[in-house]
Amino acid sequence: MSTPVIVPADLWDEDDKTGSIVLWLYADGATVKEGDLIAEVLVEKVTLELEAPATGTLRIQVEPEVVVNKGDTVAIIE
Amino acid sequence: MSSNRILTMSRAGREALDWEMERRDDIFCMGEDIYKFGGIFGTMDGFGAKYGPERVISTPISETGFIGMAAGAAMAGMHPVIDLAYIDFIGVCYNVLLNTASKTHYMSGGAVKVPMTLLIGTGGGYNNAAQHSQCLHATVAHIPGAKVVYPSNAYDAKGMLHTALRDENFVIFLTHKGTAGVGWMGTPIKTTLSEVPDTPYEVPFGKVKVYREGTDVTIVGLGMSVHESLKAADELAKDGISAEVVDLRSLVPLDRDGIMESVSKTGRLIVTDEDYLSYGVSGEIIASVVERDPTVFKKPPVRVTTPDIPIPFARPMEQAILPLAQRIADAARKLMA
Amino acid sequence: MTLTPELRRSFFEKMALSRAFDDAMIALYWEGKLPIFAFGAGPLPGELHCSNGAEPVGAGVCGALSADDMITADHRPHHIAVCRGVDLDRMSAELLGKKTGLSQGKGGHMHIYDPAVNFASSGIIAEGMAPAAGMALARRLQKRPGIAVTFMGEGAANQGAFHEVMNMVGLWKLPVITVVQDNEWGVSTSKSESTAVDRNSDRAAGYGMAGEYVDSNDPDDIYEASVRAVKRARDGLGGTILELKTARLAGHFMGDQQGYIPEQMKQADPIPVYRAKLIRDGVITEAEADAIQAAATERMAKAMQFAKDSPYPDASEAFDHVFAA
Repeated sequence: MSTPVIVPADLWDEDDKTGSIVLWLYADGATVKEGDLIAEVLVEKVTLELEAPATGTLRIQVEPEVVVNKGDTVAIIE
Repeated sequence: MSSNRILTMSRAGREALDWEMERRDDIFCMGEDIYKFGGIFGTMDGFGAKYGPERVISTPISETGFIGMAAGAAMAGMHPVIDLAYIDFIGVCYNVLLNTASKTHYMSGGAVKVPMTLLIGTGGGYNNAAQHSQCLHATVAHIPGAKVVYPSNAYDAKGMLHTALRDENFVIFLTHKGTAGVGWMGTPIKTTLSEVPDTPYEVPFGKVKVYREGTDVTIVGLGMSVHESLKAADELAKDGISAEVVDLRSLVPLDRDGIMESVSKTGRLIVTDEDYLSYGVSGEIIASVVERDPTVFKKPPVRVTTPDIPIPFARPMEQAILPLAQRIADAARKLMA
Repeated sequence: MTLTPELRRSFFEKMALSRAFDDAMIALYWEGKLPIFAFGAGPLPGELHCSNGAEPVGAGVCGALSADDMITADHRPHHIAVCRGVDLDRMSAELLGKKTGLSQGKGGHMHIYDPAVNFASSGIIAEGMAPAAGMALARRLQKRPGIAVTFMGEGAANQGAFHEVMNMVGLWKLPVITVVQDNEWGVSTSKSESTAVDRNSDRAAGYGMAGEYVDSNDPDDIYEASVRAVKRARDGLGGTILELKTARLAGHFMGDQQGYIPEQMKQADPIPVYRAKLIRDGVITEAEADAIQAAATERMAKAMQFAKDSPYPDASEAFDHVFAA
């Protein structure tokens, strides 16, 4: 049972702005609990936070410094 | 049970402060824009909402005033934690550091303690020009009675902040802005990130950290220059040069034994320091070795530092004068030639 | 020194040019810094504090000054610099770190110096207060009629230097005008959260000097108050704390989300307000107003092109100018 980690549509206001992941707080393959803070997303100068939507093993799909948009899947929790 | 988190220095330090503040009424915070903004480097992010305005005090732009007040509060039994965003600003409050917070314990023959922790951001490299890019760690380390620590990774940041908060002395806790890991300073540097336990622990002052062992040359650094040294070491490895990278991480007290141990092993010393060249930390490190035993040197020691000039704004100039990986690697190759 | 139609039109011209400068720099700022934010990247590296909303201060105060008067300003200097007549091309080049910049790329946006118009700005809060008083002292010793004006924010009034300098200005009746630009915010700290009294101009009484308060953010009102302060200074009657309520429309620095500003504290843009006023008063027509603003945009485009076309300094130049020869 996998849950995708998706950049929420309401994480930031302006639709024409993109973000990038600046930090994964867990290594690929680490165990995370639902609700754990797992990533930081930078939009211009503002740092926003992503939480784990489920408990399980984190599989990172997007590395830091890659541009992300709202709705992108950045990881999966197995 | 989650695995250990990988934290930035900013988050790790925040955890230590949060843990201590939750349990101790004597700790309170003062600084500019800390209640709403959590301080420029996020050390107190969320503290305003959690601890309230009485314990997280946003001040006017009055550094001599509120840092002096902190010293007084410390003398009266509190443990203030001050956020001073940029070390360049010590100019407007230097008297408190120089004459009050650091000297009162001594001048009172031990009768009066000043337990306070002063968090300061240092460093440049992002074109913020001469008055917002300085390191000045030598200037504060020069003051007798002030402990000065300077972690360069998240694990040390949390452990050393716990130690600072439990220390009854005036501790100046420096963080290079480029290593703090706040997103707006760029993607956090990998070597600053650590797996950090979510329980408290202490990292003692006065001990160097060997980031990377090597046999040919010792590169001593602190703050950002540790990470530049690591980059240089990677490059040097391709040339068959084995560099040992040592993080001072504590200026007062200074681990002269640890420095000596490394230089005795390699015989070659590069000191990297983003503070100005003359009259500072780089000279102190070399003097410390020479005083004990100059015969450990196979070659004269080398300093790779910011020169004795105000830091220029324009990028070509700024990047050329900072002690970045390229300059460090070049110095090592020369030493090995 | 009366408020003629020509003078008022010139205020509008200067305010338009200042706004064109800031808007051009804001537009350029993000270039190269995104999508992954990097401070030092792009043609306009580092930090940037823009003056959008404060243009009336520049126009009104500088309108009352003479060439031999000396100015110090702070980390938000653009409106003062433009209105004072700082070389626009060379100021633009300085922000881009070019060799043709006012400081040959060494200073950047917070450190603008133009001795030709007696203008200097610097980045430490309240840092400019004491030098301004010293410049006034120099003029007195030189027996020249020039006075000094220092521009600061309301947050800076809580720095220790404020007390020391204001006391000496009051004590020695130095010809110094201290312009406190109250835009209500010191980064995220509102004035009511930082200042013990309602008005910094009231503090003047504590220093034995005159204090005046203008709350309209209108260059006409600011000009008239400045004329009074200048006369006071030149007549040997000493200093003035001139407190001007103004606006900060572009945040403290670039990227400031300003989430801490509640809806009811949102500030008005003074330029459309003044434009409408001048048209109502028959000073200019709509078409002329449009032409003035278009000319400002065009002039700024030329300055920006100059800056972009200029070369960077060589790395070796970092070692020049540490000391005067």
